[in-house]
Amino acid sequence: CRRPLQALPFEKEPAGPQPSPWRPRRVMPNTAMKKKVLLMGKSGSGKTSMRSIIFANYIARDTRRLGATIDVEHSHVRFLGNLVLNLWDCGGQDTFMENYFTSQRDNIFRNVEVLIYVFDVESHELEKDMHYYQSCLEAILQNSPDAKIFCLVHKMDLVQEDQRDLIFKEREEDLRRLSRPLECACFRTSIWDETLYKAWSSIVYQLIPNVQPLEMNLRNFAQIIEADEVLLFERATFLVISHYQCKEQRDVHRFEISNIIKQFKLSCSKLAASFQSMEVRNSNFAAFIDIFTSNTYVMVVISDPSIPSAATLINIRNARKHFEKLERVDGPKHSLLMR
Amino acid sequence: MANMNSDSRHLLISEVDHERDPGPMNIQFESSDLRSKRPFYIEPTNIVSVNHVIQRVSDHASAMNKRIHYYSRLSTPADKALIAPDHVVPAPEECYVYSPLGSAYKLQSYTEGYGKNTSLVTIFMIWNTMMGTSILSIPWGIKQAGFTTGMCVIILMGLLTLYCCYRVVKSRTMISSLDTTTWEYPDVCRHYFGSFGQWSSLLFSLVSLIGAMIVYWVLMSNFLFNTGKFIFIETGFRHVGQTGLKLLTSSDPPASASQSAGITDFIHHINDTDTILNPNNSNPVICPSAGSGGHPDNSSMIFYANDTGAQQFEKWWDKSRTVPFYLVGLLLPLLNFKSPSFFSKFNILGTVSVLYLIFLVTFKAVRLGFHLEFHWFIPTEFFVPEIRLQFPQLTGVLTLAFFIHNCIITLLKNNKKQENNVRDLCIAYMLVTLTYLYIGVLVFASFPSPPLSKDCIEQNFLDNFPSSDTLSFIARIFLLFQMMTVYPLLGYLARVQLLGHIFGDIYPSIFHVLVLNLIIVGAGVTMACFYPNIGGIIRYSGAACGLAFVFIYPSLIYIISLHQEERLTWPKLIFHVFIIILGVANLTVQFFM
Repeated sequence: CRRPLQALPFEKEPAGPQPSPWRPRRVMPNTAMKKKVLLMGKSGSGKTSMRSIIFANYIARDTRRLGATIDVEHSHVRFLGNLVLNLWDCGGQDTFMENYFTSQRDNIFRNVEVLIYVFDVESHELEKDMHYYQSCLEAILQNSPDAKIFCLVHKMDLVQEDQRDLIFKEREEDLRRLSRPLECACFRTSIWDETLYKAWSSIVYQLIPNVQPLEMNLRNFAQIIEADEVLLFERATFLVISHYQCKEQRDVHRFEISNIIKQFKLSCSKLAASFQSMEVRNSNFAAFIDIFTSNTYVMVVISDPSIPSAATLINIRNARKHFEKLERVDGPKHSLLMR
Repeated sequence: MANMNSDSRHLLISEVDHERDPGPMNIQFESSDLRSKRPFYIEPTNIVSVNHVIQRVSDHASAMNKRIHYYSRLSTPADKALIAPDHVVPAPEECYVYSPLGSAYKLQSYTEGYGKNTSLVTIFMIWNTMMGTSILSIPWGIKQAGFTTGMCVIILMGLLTLYCCYRVVKSRTMISSLDTTTWEYPDVCRHYFGSFGQWSSLLFSLVSLIGAMIVYWVLMSNFLFNTGKFIFIETGFRHVGQTGLKLLTSSDPPASASQSAGITDFIHHINDTDTILNPNNSNPVICPSAGSGGHPDNSSMIFYANDTGAQQFEKWWDKSRTVPFYLVGLLLPLLNFKSPSFFSKFNILGTVSVLYLIFLVTFKAVRLGFHLEFHWFIPTEFFVPEIRLQFPQLTGVLTLAFFIHNCIITLLKNNKKQENNVRDLCIAYMLVTLTYLYIGVLVFASFPSPPLSKDCIEQNFLDNFPSSDTLSFIARIFLLFQMMTVYPLLGYLARVQLLGHIFGDIYPSIFHVLVLNLIIVGAGVTMACFYPNIGGIIRYSGAACGLAFVFIYPSLIYIISLHQEERLTWPKLIFHVFIIILGVANLTVQFFM
């Protein structure tokens, strides 16, 4: 049975309606609870690579293939609790693909939480790209009008450095114009610099439930345990969701920790092990990476080496419970812990 | 990521368990796998402090490195999707090698295939490689050509072979269409002449190698024989008491020496003693072939009147009948080694031997003094004319003496400053010419002519010193050791080239290798028994392989490449055709001498 929810001393009022403790339980079909993140774009625009990099799973097949990527509904890539990533190729040459797409359209575009559309900046068929994009938007409007739209202008490393801003601005304007009445957020990305990461971080930030209260509490947490820096990572992708630091740090490429940990996770999975936690300590600092809530990992950096590890770990453990409840408050769909 | 979620469920549940059971806060370690979960520990001394680090890798580079590292784990090596494109990877000069602990250093700039040898080292290596056993035949060659002619021929041949060597070096750079940085001369020949060029260059290279190996065998038998004799004389014969045998270095009159029983002459088949030079200062020089007027020094008829021990020794230790076979037992196993790199460590012996020879020759010359007379055309009893018609024998020897054309490209490749290649080559050739001239002239000039004729100069000038001479004994020992270490290397080269091209595998089976080695060794033994004239062997093999590598190929390739570039002029054509004719003449004349 479900425990009644309690308000905790330092949490804010939750945004949504307070669920009544006596709501009769309904058995909901599994598919209705999952919300989709659609990753769409033309064939060859870099979606599979992007997914592989962000989610640290192996590219199983050659990306150059005659057919398109058809991901089954029940994709294995999950993040943010119950969101499922689906990858679709849009507008391939294949007539089979076209037909399938058209006939399955409603199925594909139902229950969509996020649409991420990838444009290849090098593409020579701008008109066609926009045409496909618009048809996706129509489908979204029909089936999931509340979905958030993100547009990624990808492979920016192939553009000359001095022209990048210009070209991106141009594209952004076009996309904004074409997306009306829907709102889209545009990012420029390339897998060879930090822009991919930043774009996805922003996307994930907007998807985390209750992200502002989480941030506030994070700051309090950091101050209580006297940490120099606390980061919150999304569990599956290790994208930085939130970040608190008490003094200015030198390292601009802080996000690289995501790549490092994902690589370590890959090594772990090769040994049929899974990454759980890590402690790095030297005479200048101690850093702890550990599971936090059901959707997040936390990294705590303490520059006072005299504080014993056990103390910090106890603090993290205790904070976990509170943060987990924070997340749970917004409804069952974002939490795995039902009981 | 399904198992990720199930894992997390697992973990959360176990967290709850921990709550109920407030045991020790052993969050990190299970006692059962304590060993597997030990923290990774770096010694404090290995941790670079932020303050005093010499060169830190930039953040951008570190980030890029991590990124490339990570991406490479995500796809199979065949998948090109996640391989860093060129415009993303930094240029080679911006590449650093850095340790995860923070320090970084820049790679040495990498220039293609160029080595680190200074000019001095390169010159020395060229000199060392060229100094072969032909140095022993130079005095004989000068004798065959006449003194003045000999000197002129040496200098002219040096210049000619130097020019051809220069052509060889330049031939590779004249091929602009292909990448020739790893090419050796046979590859250039193949480029111009097709597979005929490759096969013929292989054949001629083998000729030079096998010729060298036969010469080595003859010399090794010679030196081993003399060494054995020396040891036998120095040690064994002291036991034979009353004949009062001493080396013929005393002031005994020659006549009585010959009559004393025992080794009056370890001078072969001679019993006339007036060919023994016997100065008081114990520096004998002998003329081994005087009695038989130029017959090769292959039989030993030493007269031991009463000494069976010495006779036994004589029977079992014969220069041409037994010693070559003893060498087989010693060297055949060495030849069968797969890789003779062990022997290349003894390269220094070659230099030491040559230097010692120079010292020996100087010493002997100082002792013996100069004996030169200039008769231009007519031979006298003791002297040879200055100009003789047998000078092609000298040119044949010199072709092999100055031969380095098949490996000069490799030697020069390791020169640090490539623009000095030509200069270094000229200096090396000049030094080689000087060395040959020095030894040849000194031996020739100091050969004691009034008692002995200049005609006595042997094809191996060490043969002119008796087995008992200590200094030449040392020279023979050095040379013997040096040759024993070079012989397997030569065998390896011959095997690599021959078996590599015929069978495609340099070590097809022990059987093939054994057969090849037996053939080579058999040739050596045969020559040692029946024709131990190293001068002859050197001039034939030298002229033969020099024909291809020194004269024909460089000139022909130059003519062809100029013709392809339309830069061929008549003077150049005539000059190079003349060189080719010289080479052919060199070889044909050898057979008439």
